[in-house]
Amino acid sequence: MQRHILSRRELLKSTLEALPRSAIVLSMPAILAACSRSAQNQLDGIGLQLLGSEEAEEFAAIADRIIPPDDTPGAREAGAVHFMDTVLGDQRERELQILRDGLGELQNRANAEFQAASFSILSAEQQDQLLREIENTEFFATIRYLTVAGMFALPAYGGNRDGVGYELIGYDPRPVWQPPFGYYDEDYMNRGGQ
Amino acid sequence: MAGASFPTREEVDFVVVGSGAAGGIVAKELAEAGHSVVQLEQGPHLQAADFRHDEWGTFNNHDLTWSHRQGHPQTFRKTADEVATVRDRVCNYAHNVGGSSLHFSGNYWRLRPIDFMEASVRGTIAGTNFADWPIRYEELEPYYTRVDWEVGVSGLQGPWDPPRSRDYPCPPMPVKGSDVLLERGARALGYTAYPAPVAILSQPHNGRPGCIHCGFCLGFGCEVNAKSSTMITMIPAALASGNYELRTHCTVSRVETDESGRASEVVYFGEDGAEQSQRARAVVLCANGAETPRLLLMSESPRHPDGLANSSGFVGRNLMFNGYSEVTGLFPEPVNAWKSIPATRVVHDWYEIDPAEGFYGGGGIDGRHPVRSGTPMESAIASSMLGGPTWGSEYKARIREEFTHTAAFDGHTTSLPLDSNNITLDPEVRDKWGRPAIRCTYMDHPDDIATMRYFMERSVEMMEAAGALRIHASYPEDGQTNSSHMLGTCRMGDDPSTSVIDRYHRSHDVPNLFLCDGSSLVTSSRGQPTMTIMALAFRAADHINRFAQRNEI
Repeated sequence: MQRHILSRRELLKSTLEALPRSAIVLSMPAILAACSRSAQNQLDGIGLQLLGSEEAEEFAAIADRIIPPDDTPGAREAGAVHFMDTVLGDQRERELQILRDGLGELQNRANAEFQAASFSILSAEQQDQLLREIENTEFFATIRYLTVAGMFALPAYGGNRDGVGYELIGYDPRPVWQPPFGYYDEDYMNRGGQ
Repeated sequence: MAGASFPTREEVDFVVVGSGAAGGIVAKELAEAGHSVVQLEQGPHLQAADFRHDEWGTFNNHDLTWSHRQGHPQTFRKTADEVATVRDRVCNYAHNVGGSSLHFSGNYWRLRPIDFMEASVRGTIAGTNFADWPIRYEELEPYYTRVDWEVGVSGLQGPWDPPRSRDYPCPPMPVKGSDVLLERGARALGYTAYPAPVAILSQPHNGRPGCIHCGFCLGFGCEVNAKSSTMITMIPAALASGNYELRTHCTVSRVETDESGRASEVVYFGEDGAEQSQRARAVVLCANGAETPRLLLMSESPRHPDGLANSSGFVGRNLMFNGYSEVTGLFPEPVNAWKSIPATRVVHDWYEIDPAEGFYGGGGIDGRHPVRSGTPMESAIASSMLGGPTWGSEYKARIREEFTHTAAFDGHTTSLPLDSNNITLDPEVRDKWGRPAIRCTYMDHPDDIATMRYFMERSVEMMEAAGALRIHASYPEDGQTNSSHMLGTCRMGDDPSTSVIDRYHRSHDVPNLFLCDGSSLVTSSRGQPTMTIMALAFRAADHINRFAQRNEI
């Protein structure tokens, strides 16, 4: 069951702007290696083991509409496609086939509706329109899942470069924390456990 | 420390199959009592330095819990008239020394006196195998206390506790924002949120450090050994006893019996795939509530055509998953429930739902992060659970908001024992060793579904009282399809026709075969069974040791 209950109170949109930014502590060699590769924003097939550079470019374009760049990096810059390249090569032949079949279908749509040779050369608005048409497909669910995972998984898998996913959500990957952990427990402590 | 080494063709006193919550305790206790013990564990001996904050490896590659990716498929169906299909997650448990005590969240609620005699007090339930336990709380209490001190539990003694002979060794864990909100909601409605007892150290104890609140807890191994797994609390002591050999990467295929009907040896595949067999005076299966019945069913023979120890037909039956409900609320300030352990407060005002509601059930509600692991990737994938788009710019904003500004009030509930919920051997699917796969058949009883809904409704009320801006509530109304709790499948009882083991964990049919793990439970607990599994293990080891000393095995 997926029941949504809207409370009587309204969502305070301003909460988003009030969030603190955290510094990212880099410690793992794998993260540092990812950093050195992430300078170029353009996918040129470097470091890809499984995906071809053309299909990788298309997947990157889709990923960048799922988590778009704005004042913070999107999924392309986070290396979501390099993440896909890593995990799809690990006993995930079925998922790879879903992505390749789905991409072919999406390219046909790009051609039929916009006379474009590929999805990636369309405008963001055109891309969003096509993705909205297929957002209930297994293909979209699969690439959406992999894009999000690639933004936030351990950087050793090739995505989440420079910890951009962590920074986006205010997650600081340091291993040791002490209370208070957030606003409410600090407030509770200040009021003597009330 | 390597421990002892025993030849397979010479009889050791005990072979213990499985090294998890129960097996780690039973083996350590028997070895320290002077018996020779070989422990067979199908997974590796991972230790603190092996653990990483790797969500993809944990939740998608199933690095700890294994699946068909590692050659261990399981199949699932809701009812017996369906053909079961292979699923990623069915009976979910960690394959390593320490078993699931390595990756659990360590919620250590004791059972209460009522749990052991509920069928007598409340009445039986038609169409179910709901029954009293053959033992009472008072018999188990000393062993609960041993778990508190020897394994390590943090908590606070109070009027909410069942009677206890000794205080907790460690004070409760520091309260998290998600549980401050639970306490606020509960108090506003006249309920009591009290410090959750957990098998995670709040301060140094028995030479181990306190928790560092890293946040990668449920699903992960603890990198500082603050989590009280048997891997760190029992296995080192077993190895130090000089009477104990730990054999990892050893996958048991059957228990052999001799012409007198006694268990004689345990057959297993070593890491290299070669079949071996360890002779033993007695055998203790602690393989968990799915694997123990599977092993008994695989050990069929002309003398035991329906599987070993199965004259009752109860091996594999009465599988209980425990139920759940999940209610998420958005709050104006940072909750940061992703830090520290999952839960630090629990509300037990509905330990027994009023029978006037018209159904059986009970449980507790604790405060958590809306994704139970509380980790970034899992949280992001689930984002927009409070409504809104699941991709694009607005979704990107929601990911951030829901990671930091949410709390969840989760219900943990009872399950009823039913003939129709069970573990059997899949007729088609086999694992990498050629053993029949676990086939799980499960559909929650209508009372279990009603209980989950009831707990969801209570959580929504507390969430509103706590001041949530937006709320999302769910429970598995179509029935659960997987669980980490596999309970009741070789249950304890005085009557050999309706139970598999006696009150001392000895199988009714095979005098030198003992079973102790989640399968031993008669009822399901209120949703947090591992404390009871460990207490039963200490108690079982006490009795088995006495039987061995009196030559009664």
